Amino acid sequence: MADRRPEVQEMSRAKRPKLEESDPTENPYLVHMYEDQQVGSYSNGHSNGSSAPTGLSKFKRHATTALQAHVAEDGPNNPFNNAPLSKQYFNILRTRRDLPVHKQRQEFLDMFHSTQILVFVGETGSGKTTQIPQFVLFDDLPHFNSKLVACTQPRRVAAMSVAQRVANEMDVKLGEEVGYSIRFEDVTGPKTILKYMTDGMLLREAMHDHNLARYSCIILDEAHERTLATDILMGLLKEVALRRPDLKIVIMSATLDAQKFQRYFNNAPLLAVPGRTHPVEIFYTPEPERDYVEAALRTVLQIHATEPEGDILLFLTGEEEIEDACRKISLEADEMIREADAGPLKVYPLYGTLPPAQQQRIFEPAPPPARPGGRPGRKVIVGTNIAETSLTIDGIVYVVDPGFSKQKVYNPRIRVESLLVSPISKASAQQRAGRAGRTRPGKCFRLYTEVAFKKELIEQTYPEILRSNLANTVLELKKLGIDDLVHFDLMDPPAPETLMRALEELNYLACLDDDGNLTTLGQLASEFPLDPALAVMLISSPEFYCSNEILSLTALLSVPQIFVRPASAKKRADEMKALFAHPDGDHLTMLNVYHAFKGAVAQANPKQWCHEHFLSLRALQSADNVRQQLKRIMEKSEVELLSTPFEDKDYYTNIRRALVAGFFMQVAKKDPSGKTYKTVKDDQSVLLHPSTVLGVDSDWVVYNEFVLTTKNYVRTVTSVKPEWLLDIAPTYYDLETFAKGEIKTALQRTMDKVKRRQAMKGGR
Amino acid sequence: MADPVDEEDDYMNMVIAEPSKPKEKETYTQRRLRKERESEARGRVKSKAEQEADEAAAREAALSKSLLEDASATKSKGLAMMAKMGFKPGVALGSKDNIDARTEPIHVTMKEDRGGIGLDSEKKRKFREEVEKEGKRVKAEEGEYRDRVRQEREDTRLEGMVGAVMRVAERMTGEREEDAEDEKKISTKPLKQINVLWRGLIRKREEKERDRRMRYDLHQSLSRLPTYDDPDEDADDKRALGKDRIQHTLVEDLEEEDPELDEFNALEPAERLHKLVLYLREVFNYCFYCKFTYPDKDMEGCPGLTEEDHD
Repeated sequence: MADRRPEVQEMSRAKRPKLEESDPTENPYLVHMYEDQQVGSYSNGHSNGSSAPTGLSKFKRHATTALQAHVAEDGPNNPFNNAPLSKQYFNILRTRRDLPVHKQRQEFLDMFHSTQILVFVGETGSGKTTQIPQFVLFDDLPHFNSKLVACTQPRRVAAMSVAQRVANEMDVKLGEEVGYSIRFEDVTGPKTILKYMTDGMLLREAMHDHNLARYSCIILDEAHERTLATDILMGLLKEVALRRPDLKIVIMSATLDAQKFQRYFNNAPLLAVPGRTHPVEIFYTPEPERDYVEAALRTVLQIHATEPEGDILLFLTGEEEIEDACRKISLEADEMIREADAGPLKVYPLYGTLPPAQQQRIFEPAPPPARPGGRPGRKVIVGTNIAETSLTIDGIVYVVDPGFSKQKVYNPRIRVESLLVSPISKASAQQRAGRAGRTRPGKCFRLYTEVAFKKELIEQTYPEILRSNLANTVLELKKLGIDDLVHFDLMDPPAPETLMRALEELNYLACLDDDGNLTTLGQLASEFPLDPALAVMLISSPEFYCSNEILSLTALLSVPQIFVRPASAKKRADEMKALFAHPDGDHLTMLNVYHAFKGAVAQANPKQWCHEHFLSLRALQSADNVRQQLKRIMEKSEVELLSTPFEDKDYYTNIRRALVAGFFMQVAKKDPSGKTYKTVKDDQSVLLHPSTVLGVDSDWVVYNEFVLTTKNYVRTVTSVKPEWLLDIAPTYYDLETFAKGEIKTALQRTMDKVKRRQAMKGGR
Repeated sequence: MADPVDEEDDYMNMVIAEPSKPKEKETYTQRRLRKERESEARGRVKSKAEQEADEAAAREAALSKSLLEDASATKSKGLAMMAKMGFKPGVALGSKDNIDARTEPIHVTMKEDRGGIGLDSEKKRKFREEVEKEGKRVKAEEGEYRDRVRQEREDTRLEGMVGAVMRVAERMTGEREEDAEDEKKISTKPLKQINVLWRGLIRKREEKERDRRMRYDLHQSLSRLPTYDDPDEDADDKRALGKDRIQHTLVEDLEEEDPELDEFNALEPAERLHKLVLYLREVFNYCFYCKFTYPDKDMEGCPGLTEEDHD
């Protein structure tokens, strides 16, 4: 599934680095291009003297040494743009040369020269993400070749922040020599030679450029995270490498399972650099815990009471659990301070949906002792597994690991994609423990027995590709020109049933024809960075005269929850939500919210307005942003933007009908007996999620999400009519394909009714 | 669409169709009652627990059934597309060199409580252990009972053999003494002089004899206790009443304690048997199991000392 959380566009200023280009001949980049075109050989890419030689002029592509690079780095001028280097540059350079990877620069280069594909293993803190791409730049010299070096990151935030860091290290402006490209945001320019990007972005580029011809070297960073996009890219690069012998590929991983990467890439050579880590002592519990949250709180407080100075990192599974734990720890710690003279304790939550400003607070230093000479203060960070790899927090000495995380699961048999609390893998547990040894020797308290660690935990976390609905992926692969999906060489191919479901769904959505070829609609749908169902809904919305509204709705469904419901003010929040409620369901309610948000009253002071109405300003703003981006794609693809006049009685009906065009496979029918619903075709019993505003007693609903908890819930539902289902999605609602039962009977009845009505009309 | 093969009439088919019973016509009342019952069943609101159980069961059923094996798979356009790409059911996707490729989706497990890792399996393990322990206990008891019964039966059998050997020993000793003395005094010897090995036999017999006699005396005593000393009775009376016979000497013997015999009787029957058999072999060159008196001490031809040797 496509990433649904586009970042707020904060870097938009940097996006258009319209530089007043000085004389092109003075631009070494352009000069080399020019010369290259003339000479047609890059083997000796030094300038012909018409411009000032740079530190790189005498470099021989793919034959450089660490020493040469060292000299070039020492300046005095920037080897890439010949500008004088700043003082700050030299300060950073000194720290860079202390990084563990630096010692192995020559080794890296030797290996890089000797092979097309290289696997590089560097533990966190080795400096690989910032340094290796620069090592490559000094050797690959992409600017002599009018090519680029790409370095992919699984997360948007990482791509942005690393690009900024590397721009500083190279003493260039972000967006010039070094830039980044993430969904809905491209901060690169004509001078760019190093581009940090999300793996998803590189995949999108590959759809239009199957050979990735713009790049001379592609670095896949954090490959151990095995995101969907990284896995597909690896499969793709394996094929591209054969077609383009000149393309260099570096796979970077932080874990020791690198042999798997080596094997996959036909025994590519491997270079490992040790990280800067300290030993971590690991403790297990003698007995399994009855309540892991309670055990975690107890452990944290015990550490605070008995262990020497050092911060604590506790891993829990989700927002609610984390907020609850933070509250409880604070309360208990206050009592400890009063009664047992314990040191002060600060607790910080950390999870994905937390606003960035609050996420930043985890870097605040631990509180000082309450009085001079008193016991030292400590900070506790209670986080999800984003604290496992994505963020590096110094000062952590104690890690408390209950062994669970929330993981996405998908099962094609009941077509449910949901986040479930599941045991972590051994690799994950090691990673968590490693967090304790960043600054000095640490301790990791695992809240399970050693036997359980050995026997119950799987070796590696399942890669995302095994846990996802692949409809979107199949569409992407088709767009990438891969026709034989069955034999496409993925590192971990998904279960055949998953592929079967995906193909089936795309066929029902008319994105693939019966032979598995992309249809025009499929071509168009793949242009949108959305789930196929959402894309199809958006593309077909002009037929229902409501593409403006569906566009807003699609944006709203692509961002995190817009309603805020704090534990302390649930009732008030519900009252506020009721103000926007539409009796026909949640989709229309969300639309009402958006329209109100865009109204003059709200825009006067959006922050306050959102606060008063218990809405997430961040989510709404990013929905606004996504809407802009999608609108641009729609305009480019010539999808009309239409609206039914609001006064028209069909205004909302049209929107509901348009919903069916995308979500006809996510429909549930009410059981005659009472509250429960049954999903059509899969025949799963579901309840409406308590958050729904659905006011009318509706027999048929479309839903956005099937949530699996102890009960089966459908969330974000809107009432629809069975006639629409038969009318809009006749192939899916072909009665022949239904098993005998309540749903079939009901559809049959509807069909008869429609026929009767038509007959009556015809007779008149 | 039906499979064309099914439609062809299979003339080799030997199944004889059962004559279909004419369906009994439902009367109006029956029909009404049935309808009522059915609607009641449909209308009944299930309890929460029932609903949850149904839900979970439906989910598990759906989760455990492969889509490829489902009847509708033949109609699936997705599967048809895959088949066109060369997919065969049962084979994983991806490169054929990839041996780790999955053929089944990852199983979905719902966590319903806050139990720590290993708690469930620990619970299961404890439960299993309990069950195993219980099973073992029952089995052990069963075993004990069987052993005991077997032991008892064996003891009874041995006890019988001991009696038989004793009788043989007594007879042979008696014969030898007779030969030697040529005297006929059976059981006049005081008990203590009889070999302890078969003294028990004699003693039991004497006891039996005494009991019998006492009972007899009682019957004969004409309503008087035999010990009753009538002052009017003269010698003739006494003879007539049978009181003149001498009381058996062994009677006193029987009253006496016999620690030697008690000690011997305390031995296991197998042991006693063994001792007796040995005695017979040593003294009479007789093997109890061969039922044969050998001519000399070597007892050539006898397979051994124990019963098993003679099997």
